[in-house]
Parts: sequence; structure tokens; C-alpha cells
Amino acid sequence: MGHGKYIAPPEGQYQVAAGQVLNLQFTVLPGESRDVDVRIDLNGPGAEAHLKGLYLCKADEKVNFHIVMHHRAPGCRSTQLFNGIAGGTAQVRFDGTIIVAPDAQKTEAYQENHNIVLTDTARVETKPQLEIYADDVKCSHGATVGSLNEDELFYMRSRGIPEAEAKTLQMLSFLSPVIPAGQEEEIEKAVRSL
Amino acid sequence: MTDKNLIQQVTSSEYKEGFVTDVEQEFLPKGLSEDIIRQISARKEEPDWLLEFRLDAFRKWQKMPQPDWAHLDMPAIDFQDIIYFAAPKKDKDRPKEIDPKLAETFDKLGIPLREREALAGVVAVDAVFDSVSVKTTFRQTLQEKGIIFCSFSEAVREHPDLVRKYLASVVPASDNFFAALNSAVFSDGSFCYIPKGVRCPMELSSYFRINARGTGQFERTLIVADEGSYVSYMEGCTAPMRDERQLHAAVVEIVVEKDADVKYSTVQNWYPGDADGKGGILNLVTKRGICKGSGSHLSWTQVETGSAITWKYPSTILKGDYSSSEFYSVAVTNNHQQADTGTKMIHLGRGTKSRIVSKGISAGVSQNSYRGLVRMGRGAVNARNFSQCDSLLIGSRCGAHTFPVIESQQPSATVEHEATTSKISEDQLYYCNQRGIAPEDAVSLIVGGYAREVLSRLPMEFAVEARKLLAVSLEGSVG
Repeated sequence: MGHGKYIAPPEGQYQVAAGQVLNLQFTVLPGESRDVDVRIDLNGPGAEAHLKGLYLCKADEKVNFHIVMHHRAPGCRSTQLFNGIAGGTAQVRFDGTIIVAPDAQKTEAYQENHNIVLTDTARVETKPQLEIYADDVKCSHGATVGSLNEDELFYMRSRGIPEAEAKTLQMLSFLSPVIPAGQEEEIEKAVRSL
Repeated sequence: MTDKNLIQQVTSSEYKEGFVTDVEQEFLPKGLSEDIIRQISARKEEPDWLLEFRLDAFRKWQKMPQPDWAHLDMPAIDFQDIIYFAAPKKDKDRPKEIDPKLAETFDKLGIPLREREALAGVVAVDAVFDSVSVKTTFRQTLQEKGIIFCSFSEAVREHPDLVRKYLASVVPASDNFFAALNSAVFSDGSFCYIPKGVRCPMELSSYFRINARGTGQFERTLIVADEGSYVSYMEGCTAPMRDERQLHAAVVEIVVEKDADVKYSTVQNWYPGDADGKGGILNLVTKRGICKGSGSHLSWTQVETGSAITWKYPSTILKGDYSSSEFYSVAVTNNHQQADTGTKMIHLGRGTKSRIVSKGISAGVSQNSYRGLVRMGRGAVNARNFSQCDSLLIGSRCGAHTFPVIESQQPSATVEHEATTSKISEDQLYYCNQRGIAPEDAVSLIVGGYAREVLSRLPMEFAVEARKLLAVSLEGSVG
């Protein structure tokens, strides 16, 4: 199965109490199909959760993220950033919900999911959802699906960088905000294999 | 403290279109069956193919479950407790004379039916009262250009080939539960055909009014813009204040041929129910257009302020290469109103482009959802979409939700979605107050600014109405 590797804390439920900070990192490398199902409850004032995800697919992987971030108390903060690249005939699905309970005022919740599609046959579906029942909140989500930027590629190639290398650089820079510390080499190797 | 008073004032703002017109009407009996459908069809002297179409839709509808996926607390609808056909009695006198009572109704609503009174001839109106179209203005002027603009029933009589060709070509009878219901019992609506290369010289407008008690309104609108033509179409709706829920299940189909351009605007102001959520219209509508030919363009603009429940997703199928579509929406919910609205952009052709701008405003204890789908098919090479969905919350007991779905099967396609949720900030209010702007005016100023991108897309006549509506809907609400 190649060098498929999945580095993440176990999926499941997380209860975050007042003042606690939860950091989670999800990494899905080529060759690995995964269903990541996570539910986080921010239960006390000042609780925080920060999620980062990275996924790389090049064959027929099926990667599903299902994330529920539930702000149950006022003054909590959450951030989510998931960046991934899909090639081959991979199917990627990101389904993320932020729920802000009534009275969970002063909530800050942000969620982003960015995807690059490399082939005609890969399929990406993203469903970033907000359910907000309080008014004094700052919430946003963003999602993009696209391909490698032609202009950037042209810029690098016109300066003598070979096409494959330029694409690798583009992909690495796209992934850089979500590459876990200490795993830069492993990720780079995986990106070169795409 | 004062905030609370002000929020209470919101709930007391009145629905000024809530009067009932006392005009003699005839009804078909309550309930839905093949027999009722045959009666509707017979009353409208429809050809056999149309009756078959209705019956076929009805049989399909009977097998369909009512959808429950929307973020709505939908009351059970008893489909046998609805009158499916109601018409003002003087129907036979049409179109020579319009009943003075009806004319008065539309006058009260500010809809000019007598042509000399129309705004210097810039708007042609088709007015639909319960189940029938009562008057269509400016037909002569339009006819000279070859434009057909008439009630659906007339279109069936006078242009059966066109109607038959395009009816249900965008929204098939079996598309969804409410579209199937509409296909079975639709009563009237507007039909519009713009011939090749013709630029429609005036805004076309349909005005829908529910009047009778216990009835539902099921109108059907079909717009066909042939190659290279242009039309701007507006739709408005109101209903009396009643403490029963009334059903409105409409279907709008738009066909845009090569290089044609259609602009469709709606100001929806059905009765929203009272402050306790009693009564109001259930607005369950299917609207869809197809950009059939290359270079065609379809733009949806909607201002949704009324209805107890809104379930509406004006959508575009971008089939023609390099066709484009836009969706601009402002949805305001207050008191117990619920809205689940948004759009679908289905990209099939090369280089197709779409843009979605949705602004939701929730106040009181209302729930306001944006639900959207952007799909990039295999053939959507270099297609592009941008979506912006913002929500504004006024008061701490309302809800704002965003449910976008993005599907891409084409690597060169680019899809971007962003959404934010926030309230009117104290800084903004303070800034205005400090300059002598009263809190209510400040809110309306800020909301106006927030919704401006959408309001500026409305035709002039509608923009004025929409701004007023926004101000009334949110009167005095400071969050």
C-alpha cells in the first residue's frame, strides 16, 4: 500500500472545558482512504479548539472529513483550516459544521477548506456549514476548489524552474499553513509522488 | 433596555397589504382529486394534452413524500383542505372591463393597471388575482415587436405550440413534491416570449395576489427568450392578513437561448403571519432557468421579506458554453418567520460563469438559512464561480445558517465560497448616533448599506419599493 500513513489523534468526541485549548492535526497521505469523524464541544467560557488538516490523494482514495464544532458556551474560539490536493480518481468530501448555541455570545469561529484538483477524474465535494443561534458572534467560513495557478507556473518556468519542480513548489506553498512541524520532509516526499 | 423596547417595536410594525377585497368569487370545492383537476382543466377549456400533463403530474405527486430536509419547522399541510381554484365571478367579461373592486385592490397596492396611469409606459403588468389573471396591460405595444406577454391560460389558447414546446422543459413535472403539485393544479400565471433579436422596450411585470380564504395559489410562469433577445421581468406578491396558513406553490421556468439576456426580479411580500407566528403564507416555490445557448445570461434578483415560511431556490443550469448567471438575494426574516432560500448553479458548459451574493437579515425569533449548490460538471472547463453569503443578526433569539454545497469534477474549474455572520456593531451605531442619526435611522442606514449590492441590481421601480419594505420590516430594531 505504498507509504500511506495517517497521523492524527483518534477521531471521536472531544469535550473542552472552560479555559482549555485543544489542538488537533489531521494528515492523510497518498494511498490511504479515511473517514475522519470528529465532534468537538466547547463547554466553558474561553475554551478554544484549533484544527488543521492536510490530505493528499493520487489514486482511488476516498477521504471523508466530517467535523462538528459545537460552541455551547460564550466567549469560545475555534479555527479550522483544511487544505488538500486530489489527483487520480480520488474522491474527497469535506463536511464541516459550526454550531453556535443560543446564548453562546462573543463566539469567534472560523473555518476554511481549500482544495486543488489535479485530474479530470478526481472529485471534490465540500459542505462548510454554519448554524448560528446567537447574535454577538464573529463567524465565517470559506471554501475553494480550483487548480494550480497558471500565472504562477508561467512565472517560475520563465525563470528556468522545470515544470514538475514548479508545480511541487506551488503545492508545497498551498499546503504550508497546515504542514505539521517536524514532518516537512515526509510531506514534501509525498507531494513529489503525486 | 431601550434595545428591548426597540426590538418589541419591530414586532408591531404592520403589514399594510393585509386587507381583503370583497369581490364575488366562484370556487371549486375543497380537496384534490383527479376529478378536481379535470374540472380545473375543463373550466379553463384546456386541450387534452394539457389535461394529460396535469393528470400525469398528479399521479407522480401522489407517490412522492413531502420533503423535510430544509431547516424549517414546517406544519403538516392538509392537501385535501385547500381550495385549488378561485376566480372573481366577472371572469366572463374579461378582458373588456376590469371589475372596479379589483382595480381598486391593485390601486391600493400601487400597481398601475390602467395604462394611462402607468409610469410613462415603462412597465407592462400582468395581474393575477387568486387563480386567474385579471388584466394584462400594454399588450398592443408589445405585440408590435412580436413579444407575447399574456396570462398562461391565454397562451395555452393562442400559442399552444410554444407552450407545449417549453412547458416543463426546465422544471419537469416530477422534479420535486411541490413542483409536481403545481403541475397538477396550476391555475394561471404569466407567459412571455421574446422573439429573436428583440430587446423588450419595457419592464414586464407580474403581480400576484391571494385574496380568497382557504385557497392556495399555484401560478406558473414561463419565460422564453429567443436568440439575442433581452427582457427584464419583475414579480411581486401580497396577500390579506389571516390567521390560517395559506399555501403558495409556484413554478417559474425560464429558457434563455443563444446570446439572450434575461433579468428576473422578485419582491416577495406575502403576509408573514402575526407577531406570534399565527397565519401567514407558506411560500414553496420552484424557480429554475436554463442558459441553453452559448453566451446566454440569466440574472436572478430577489428581495424576500414576507411569508411565514419560504422554501425557494432560484437556480440556473449553465448548459451553453460561455453562458453566465447571477443570483442576488436579500432575505429578511422577523418575528416567527422562517426562510430557507438560496440557489443552485449547475455548470455544464465550457467557460461558464456564475456569481452568488446572498444577504440574510434575521430579527425577532426568526430562522434564516442560505442553502446553495455549485456543481462543476466534467465539461465545465475553465468555469468559474464566486459565492458570498453574509448574515446579519439583530437580537439574540434569532438564527442565521449557511449550508453551501460545492461539487467539482473539473480540475480547471474554480469555485470560491465565503460566508460571514455578524451583528450590527456598536461602533457603527455609536458613530451614527454621535452624528445625530437616531438609532432606528442608523439601523436602516446600515442595513441599506449591507444590502446595497443586491438592491442596486433591482429595476428602478422595484428598488424604491424594496428599500421601503426593508425599512418597514426592520423598523426600530437595534441589536
